[in-house]
Amino acid sequence: MNLQRIVALAWKEWREIIRDRLFFALAFVVPAMLMLLFGFGLTLDVENLPFAVVDYDKTAASRDYAYRFISSRYFAFQGYAADEHDVDALLADNKVRMVLVIPPRFDERLGRGEPAPVQVLIDGTFPERTQTSMGYVAAINSAVSLDNMAHALSRVRGIPLPEARQRVQPVKLEVRYLYNQSVKSIWSLAPKLIMLIMMLSPPFLTAVGVVREKESGSIFNIYSSTVSPGEFLLGKLAPYVAISIANAMFLWLLATWLFGAPFKGDPLFFAFATVLYVICTTGIGLVISMLVQTQVAAMIVASIVSIIPAVLYSGVLLPLPSLSPAASMLAHALPPMYYTNIVVGCFLKAVSWHALWLEVLVLAAYAVGLFGLGYLLFTKRPKS
Amino acid sequence: MNNMTNGGLFSVPGLRRLRVMTQKELLQLFRDVALMVFFLYSFTGDIYLAASGVSMQLKNAAIATLDADYSFASRELASRFQPPYFQPAGSVADARQAIRRLDDGDVMAVLDVPPRFQERLQRGEQVSVQLQVDTSNSVLGFLASSYGAQIVGKYALEAAAQREGLAAAGGIAGPLVEADTRVWYNPNQNDAWFMGISELLTVVTLFSILLPAAAMVREKERGTIEQLMVTPLTSFQILFPKVVAMTLVILAGSAIALFGVLGPLFQLPMRGSLVTFFLITALYVFTTAGLGLLAATVARNLAQVGMLTVVILMPMLLLSGAWTPIEAMPPWMRGLAWISPLHYFLDAAYGILLKGVGLDLLWDSVLAMTGLGIIVFAAGMRRFGRQFG
Repeated sequence: MNLQRIVALAWKEWREIIRDRLFFALAFVVPAMLMLLFGFGLTLDVENLPFAVVDYDKTAASRDYAYRFISSRYFAFQGYAADEHDVDALLADNKVRMVLVIPPRFDERLGRGEPAPVQVLIDGTFPERTQTSMGYVAAINSAVSLDNMAHALSRVRGIPLPEARQRVQPVKLEVRYLYNQSVKSIWSLAPKLIMLIMMLSPPFLTAVGVVREKESGSIFNIYSSTVSPGEFLLGKLAPYVAISIANAMFLWLLATWLFGAPFKGDPLFFAFATVLYVICTTGIGLVISMLVQTQVAAMIVASIVSIIPAVLYSGVLLPLPSLSPAASMLAHALPPMYYTNIVVGCFLKAVSWHALWLEVLVLAAYAVGLFGLGYLLFTKRPKS
Repeated sequence: MNNMTNGGLFSVPGLRRLRVMTQKELLQLFRDVALMVFFLYSFTGDIYLAASGVSMQLKNAAIATLDADYSFASRELASRFQPPYFQPAGSVADARQAIRRLDDGDVMAVLDVPPRFQERLQRGEQVSVQLQVDTSNSVLGFLASSYGAQIVGKYALEAAAQREGLAAAGGIAGPLVEADTRVWYNPNQNDAWFMGISELLTVVTLFSILLPAAAMVREKERGTIEQLMVTPLTSFQILFPKVVAMTLVILAGSAIALFGVLGPLFQLPMRGSLVTFFLITALYVFTTAGLGLLAATVARNLAQVGMLTVVILMPMLLLSGAWTPIEAMPPWMRGLAWISPLHYFLDAAYGILLKGVGLDLLWDSVLAMTGLGIIVFAAGMRRFGRQFG
């Protein structure tokens, strides 16, 4: 290892990057842009769910009941439908995602103190959204039921309404939301976006950067020079790691300042873990670049092995506990999951070394492993 | 004349050139072995993993109980937190231990039943129980608290009915509203259908942007584009075969994914017309490829294309409506979703495969995709023509 050669190589690579103005700009702009787009646009909350009502009862009671849904911010009322046949087309054409059908004699049954059935038709195309909307429906229905019960009880027993209300609801549930007390999705999302974006851009940058030399043939200059494989890899990758670390810092600023995500953890620990993570994702790009010969293949492979696991198996969109064994194994075999635990821990839970040492260790092992593999695959005497 | 009858339609010079150029593109594609291996994996293994491995629902969330009452009533309440949503994970002795288990991610929720719960319940007082939920994942946190509220609400109502003498044989006799919820199109809430289709669309999108963009820029970088420019080919005859070749390959991949993976292994219903599905897929690939080519005319080398496609791809994949409901997005973001071809393709693909709808309902999506396709293609051709014409 000759430090001077490494520095010279890094300098050469750096100049090559800056001279490609568009590439240089993109290397910095892309992560920030993705952060802004996803931070503002990627709402996992289910709100304004379009729905229609079929009211066969047409009484004050049925209208009051429908109004509970109409006035809720979770639902966006699209109008009354005449009967269930109209509803088929509305659901099929995505004009509405839910239909509330109030059968005849709704008012009459409730007035007699009997349970009244209603029907809720939900579009099941997106299961997670369906589940959430079913939760909303159940919450509104149980509030209506409690109200009705309280009114009935107060009439029958001749007790004041507040007392009746208390009697029909002997057990109250208080929910305490830990780590993210407002369940604002941007709070839990912004830290994970750092993970997601740092999984996307470094492999691309690196893989294409290395394969470019292979494809254009300028790598033969390296093969025939005195530079050793280790020096080449370190020098070549240093600028990419530096760019990515700068990006990660900027994303952290965006997450805390712009999106107001609380950062409760230890900044030093977080910085250390982030550098490790960036080295890992750069290493992924390195290994890809060793395995493929063309830049096209490098791009495709980079996108398959970075975009898809980062989206599906990192815990951003999909809850990790509900992964199947095979997918869970994949999640455990890739770095994003570990870094997700670290960012979530640092931002929302104020935990550091004692709870996350294992994650850091895994990332370190990953970084060493990837660079080791890249080193082994890199040979100055290519076949053919 | 003789020539016309022999070669058929392809002897018309323009069409013959298109055919030859398409063949060239296909050959070039098939010779990149690493690329083809990944292509096949993406349309089979990757889709299989996504469809089999991921579920967006709250399943078996570990819940511990902090029972300070140790009574029949408190045990009864705790025992109602059961699979499929919850999985009892023992009890904790005190609040500190509860927090530690939540910190470690060992349990997702802790049900906290106060002392004298049963006694106060019997005396007719109102008792509060607490549910502490880990909401680091806000979607799951919401679902857990929502199910928790339903379970406790039902328990409370039953307890009240018992005490007030409202209990009937079949349940509770009172003016309750009972919802009979029917889930359409995917009644068993099979996540594999959603995930499988979503992943197929993701992979299709990925390849239809990357392949043409990369193929284009590679010619630019190597200079072979100059060779093409000196041939009698027009810029349309150069660009169009690239897209045709990629479309053919991607359609073949989609067919493998549908008939080799999603159909036989996950019983995906495919209720609508498959001909319509493949036609719309071809239209989508075409439109998206136009986007890729447009990016390629902006970029001078592959590294630039790589970054540009990430900028186009990621927002398209995450903001078109598969992962986040369009209705819940801020208005300006909804505007962006409307210019994303994937947004229309999502409607069409889920519509045809799950809902069984046809062109009578999908015409607007098809129209929008065609419009977008023409615009990006025209823009790409214009830029290409100016650069090399």
